[in-house]
Amino acid sequence: MGQAPSNWAARDREGVYAELDHPADLFLEIWGSDLPTLFENACFALYDQVAVLAGFEAGRELTIAVRGASPQDALRALLAEALYRFETEGFVAIDAEVNVDACDGPEDLRVTARLWGEDADRRRHALLTEVKAVTYHQLAVVRTPGGDWRATVLFDV
Amino acid sequence: MEPPALRQLSEWLWELPATGGMRVPGRVYADHQLLKALQDDQSLVQVGNVAHLPGILCYSLAMPDIHFGYGFPIGGVAAFCVDDGVVSPGGVGYDINCGCRLLATGLESTDLQGKVPRLIDQVFRDVPSGVGSSGAIAKLSRKELEDVLVKGAAWAVEHGYGSRDDLEHTEDGGALSGADPSAVSERAYVRGQDQVGTLGSGNHFLEIQVVDEVFDPEAASAYGLYQGQVTIMVHCGSRGLGYQVCEDYLGVMAAASARYHMDLPDRQLACAPVASPEGRAYLAAMACAANYAWANRQMIMHLTERALLHALRISPKELNLRLVYDVAHNIAKLEDHTIGGEQVKACVHRKGATRAFGPGRAEVPPDYRAVGQPVLIPGDMGTASFVCKGTEEAMRQTFGSTCHGAGRVMSRSQALKRAKGRAIDRELADSGIFVRSQSNKTLGEEMPEAYKDVERVVAVMDRAGISPRVARLRPLGVVKG
Repeated sequence: MGQAPSNWAARDREGVYAELDHPADLFLEIWGSDLPTLFENACFALYDQVAVLAGFEAGRELTIAVRGASPQDALRALLAEALYRFETEGFVAIDAEVNVDACDGPEDLRVTARLWGEDADRRRHALLTEVKAVTYHQLAVVRTPGGDWRATVLFDV
Repeated sequence: MEPPALRQLSEWLWELPATGGMRVPGRVYADHQLLKALQDDQSLVQVGNVAHLPGILCYSLAMPDIHFGYGFPIGGVAAFCVDDGVVSPGGVGYDINCGCRLLATGLESTDLQGKVPRLIDQVFRDVPSGVGSSGAIAKLSRKELEDVLVKGAAWAVEHGYGSRDDLEHTEDGGALSGADPSAVSERAYVRGQDQVGTLGSGNHFLEIQVVDEVFDPEAASAYGLYQGQVTIMVHCGSRGLGYQVCEDYLGVMAAASARYHMDLPDRQLACAPVASPEGRAYLAAMACAANYAWANRQMIMHLTERALLHALRISPKELNLRLVYDVAHNIAKLEDHTIGGEQVKACVHRKGATRAFGPGRAEVPPDYRAVGQPVLIPGDMGTASFVCKGTEEAMRQTFGSTCHGAGRVMSRSQALKRAKGRAIDRELADSGIFVRSQSNKTLGEEMPEAYKDVERVVAVMDRAGISPRVARLRPLGVVKG
């Protein structure tokens, strides 16, 4: 186990992510001071949309490792994997620690996310939105002129 | 981006001229007011983007419930020549064979006086709904699930969940041919093993309704519908298995698009030639997901019948539950169409659009063939849904297709803001509609005013002669995910 996990349950969205207007689906804008933080915040955004995080505990640790040919592909793969684990195991994270390594230059990124959380139990936890998929539509990860990172992700709901 | 300029062709039809890389024009069915609402979003740009794809036939079509989707617009129809055209998972969507099933009962609304809450509570208990809903029946083994993917609704019937007649009244008999279970990934199997017979969440629902008004007595009588009759409508799809098939094949198609040198204006339009190995594999996997959805709705019908019998304490004969029809509104299918007097085999993508085949087509069940295929158009939970009928005109103009619902007009977050401090369930109860939902958030997002006026959407396709109205169904009780 890593450090005692902080807890997303009481975390504010302000400055982490925001919902952008979209007629039918869930369109999120996510920020981070560096790429790993951006990816951590994206995980928070996904779980925050899926469930009421208050009430979840950090008893289970899950590691997700994905690769991508670009930061946006790596981000999409990470979120798609997290979504898959939520749907098949019910796993909801309330904390994460992400490492991003360039294996073979920026064309091949390896992302390892350590997630802490627990499997949802509908008798104890409130689930909010069935996210069907993480789409490629308007998928972007960019570095802002100020040096921070910004991503947009459209989830099909 | 500026919305593209449209040319008016009739009171109900607008053309988006072919410019730039568009191979064919776009055509949009709408009245002035619906069209005005479209000017604010990018859905017309998406109609134009679809027209870029190789082998597209005649037009990139938009129904009056069109809204901005990912890649293809929702409410879009695009047909591609099977010889030189493409198939695209984005033109079907994640929820493969999301669709609508209408059940008729032998009851009238007066029989349900004061009983609707009890019925809805029982259905809410017996038909799993909500985020990640599962466990309607015992978890299926790999072998059983493969059977579901090949046989579709017939799998459910073989296991005692319904009758042979139900299959006759399901689009494609409740099973697309060409389903190949080996084209479906292990992940899709894992996601699908526990979700047959579940509604899911979002805009999916199960409604108890009453036939409020009959517009076309001849067609209504053919479909077995009459004023005052109680009906049940189910709206759902292929759940996690379908989402995973789409996800898997978007990856396959991204590579294929590069290999076949497709010049795409949007990544989500990734596609491959219908006749290519990738195209064939997608269609084989998509058919599996479509069949899963038909088995799902067949199972939900069975669970609903059991719930109603239990809550009403009447015999199956008195309930007389009968499948009117079941339609897919997210699907790609190989169909024969006549274009300029010539027979063409087309791969018709309907993403948020309903098949509306006219009289005489072999695909329409024998007992409906004289009047045309029943078209089921669900509205928002506070207003109404419609039964319409397919026509010759639809065959001529839209590859036998029409709209699929009201279409959203407000984003989910806007709707939630609007719903803040209100009790949507109480508001609906005040207008005589009893609603149960797993989540108040869903109720807020799905509130009636978040949708376009379904009457207006349906009227456009009625006046355009594509899918005339047969009957209006008013909700009495609603189960939401």
